[in-house]
Formats: sequence, structure tokens, C-alpha cells
Amino acid sequence: MKTNRPDNSEDKFEKVISYLLMTGVVLSIMLEVIGVVMFYHAYGNLNISQQPGMFIKGHDFFSFIYRQIQNRSTTTPTLLFMIAGIVVLILTPYIRVIASFLYFSWQKNWKYVIFTLFVLIVVMLSLTLH
Amino acid sequence: MLNIWSLAIVAIGVGFLGSLIGIGGASILVPILVLFGIPVKEAIACGMVAIIATSSGSAATFVRAHIANIKVGMYLEMFTILGAIAGATITTYIHPTYLYFFFAAFLLTSFLKFRESMTKEFVPSPTQDKVSRWLGLHGSYYDAAKKEEVEYKVTNAIQGGIGMLGAGLAAGMLGIGAGAFKVTIHEYILKMPPKVSSTTSSFVIGITALAGVSVYLFSGLLNLTLMAPLAIGTTIGAVGGGRVLNHLNNRTLRILFFIVVTFLIVQMLFKGFASL
Repeated sequence: MKTNRPDNSEDKFEKVISYLLMTGVVLSIMLEVIGVVMFYHAYGNLNISQQPGMFIKGHDFFSFIYRQIQNRSTTTPTLLFMIAGIVVLILTPYIRVIASFLYFSWQKNWKYVIFTLFVLIVVMLSLTLH
Repeated sequence: MLNIWSLAIVAIGVGFLGSLIGIGGASILVPILVLFGIPVKEAIACGMVAIIATSSGSAATFVRAHIANIKVGMYLEMFTILGAIAGATITTYIHPTYLYFFFAAFLLTSFLKFRESMTKEFVPSPTQDKVSRWLGLHGSYYDAAKKEEVEYKVTNAIQGGIGMLGAGLAAGMLGIGAGAFKVTIHEYILKMPPKVSSTTSSFVIGITALAGVSVYLFSGLLNLTLMAPLAIGTTIGAVGGGRVLNHLNNRTLRILFFIVVTFLIVQMLFKGFASL
């Protein structure tokens, strides 16, 4: 009987997407947990802080990452880990779209190449502009 | 008192529920944060992290188990992200009161439809329109609760795309993932099975949430001590929910969805009347 189950290459693609997402969230959790433990060591409590230093700000997402890399020596390790965890988390779905675009290009599935490219451009613009 | 530890515990529960019914959980988390004294704009901005974490955490499991339909997700993402950006732009020109009532009315339609279908078992669409067939929008998954392979054909791709534009608009205007809107469109317009519907919604909401990242970064409202527990908690909850979902029957998922939609309608009406 013919089923609607994806073929072998689509099956592998789904596994790659799944691993990408899982790697992203696990890495993000690890960075955040390290950041929270360091926060506890530094401040002696786990209170939600409203101190200005706990807020992140940037012109846009990519310039924010660039500035963090530039200023890494002046930012405390606690904040660096917490920021890195959030950046990895935000990048995870973005990388998933890039992987999908590459897969559909390799498969020469032009309909979905256009769809994923469109999403990629719009996401990139929204991360670059505010 | 809410601290990083207790917020992470709350977020585990929200991430778990969110992954089961296809929502990001921001609409549940934001009122909780506000209740504990977090400024509303800061709560909405940080809620974006919860949406992305729920989406990626649960989709990692759903995609591998073939429950979420990637092609449907990719197709619908185009509409939802456009809607989200348009929503974030026009929200500054439209008084929020109208939005709350408009979205409450939409959710009420969804509420009535779900109540109607509570006692009925999902019947896949026997036919598929030309556009949906051309897009290859079909699939199958193994339902662990039914212990059988479920095959389905997605239909009404164009109407579904327009509907997702509206869901994206809601997401952009209200700062939520709008998962409840997406699930309704998946089930009643695109005729997707309930589990495929909620898991594909989980897959898509992460992209919708990305549209607001730079805006929130620029606003300076992103608090690291709020985002850390939200990211940790919702991810753990979502991964857990992703492993449980396929073992639950459709009726249980519908009841959970029904409860959350009721909560959302009350929330929208409350906000609407409060802003009059």
C-alpha cells in the first residue's frame, strides 16, 4: 500500500531539522543554567532584577551580537553566559530556515526553495531592521 | 514571591501545555508576570523568548516523529511572518480596544467550533484542491494513542494562507505567538488532524516570534533575569510535552485547547473593556 510517509531523503531531512532544533535548545539551556548559577554566586540570591545592567539593548539583533563579541572583555561572565543562551535560542529557528532552504535547493524543489528563501529574507530583514 | 527559580517551575508547566496544544505560552505567562509586578511591556517583550523556546523544544520531537508537517509549516510561515510584521507596524496606528474585541470575536468562533467537535472524531478530508496537491501538502503519522497510521490530505491552501496572514497580524499586534488562531485555521480551513495541527503550529510560532526580536531589543525591555528562567523552563516543559503528545487521545487535547481558548477570550474581553 502506498502511504503519504515521506521518502528516505525527506526522512533524513526531518532528522537533521530535529537535531538542529534539539542542539540549539540544549546548548541554550546549558548556557542559561551556567549563567543563573553564576548569577547566584555573584549576587547571593535568585531575585528577578530590575537593575538597568540586567536589560539588554541593541540597534538590531545582528549588530547586538557584533557589539557583544567586541565588548566581551568588559561584560561580566555571568551576563555573557545569559546573553549567549538567549542569542543561541533566537538563532535556532533562524538556522532551521537556512537548513530547509539548503535542503530544498539540493532537492531542486523550486517551489519550496522560493518559500524558504522568502521566509529567510523576511526574517533576516526583521532581525536587521527594527 | 516570584524569583528565577519559581518562574522556571511555572514556565515548565506552560511549556508543557503549550507544546501539547500548539501555543507559545506567552498569553498565559504575560498575565502571570504582570500579576507579580513585572511591567506589562517588559513581560510581553520577554514572552517572545518563551514562544521561541516552546516552538523549538517541542518541534525537535514532533518533526522527528513525523507528526508536524514541515512542508505545510514552511508554506504557512510565509504568510504568518508577513502578517506579524504588518501587525507590529499597524498596531501603532490602531487603538488596541478594537483589536481586543476583534480577536475575542475570532476566538469565540473557534470556541464554538471546538465545542461542536468535542464529541466527534476527526475525519480526514477525502479530497484535495489543486493548489494543495501542487504544493504536496499531505502526510501521515503513527498515532500512538490509536495505535494506527493516520493519513491525511491538507486542502484549501489559499484560504489557509490568508487565514495565517490574519493569525500573524494578531501575533504582531498583540505580542503573542497566536498559536490558538493557527490551530483553529489548521483544523477548520486546512482540515488537518488535531495532532498534526497543534504540532505544525508549534513549528511555525517560533518564526512568527522572530519578527519582534529587533523591535524588543531596540526598546531595551529585554530583562536577562526574566528571560533566563523562561528559556530554561519552557524548553524543558516543551520537550517533555513533545514526548507525551502522541500518547494522548485527540479528545484530551481538544479539552485542553478548549480551556485555554476560554481563558484567552476572557483575557481579550477584559483587556478590551479595561482600555475603553
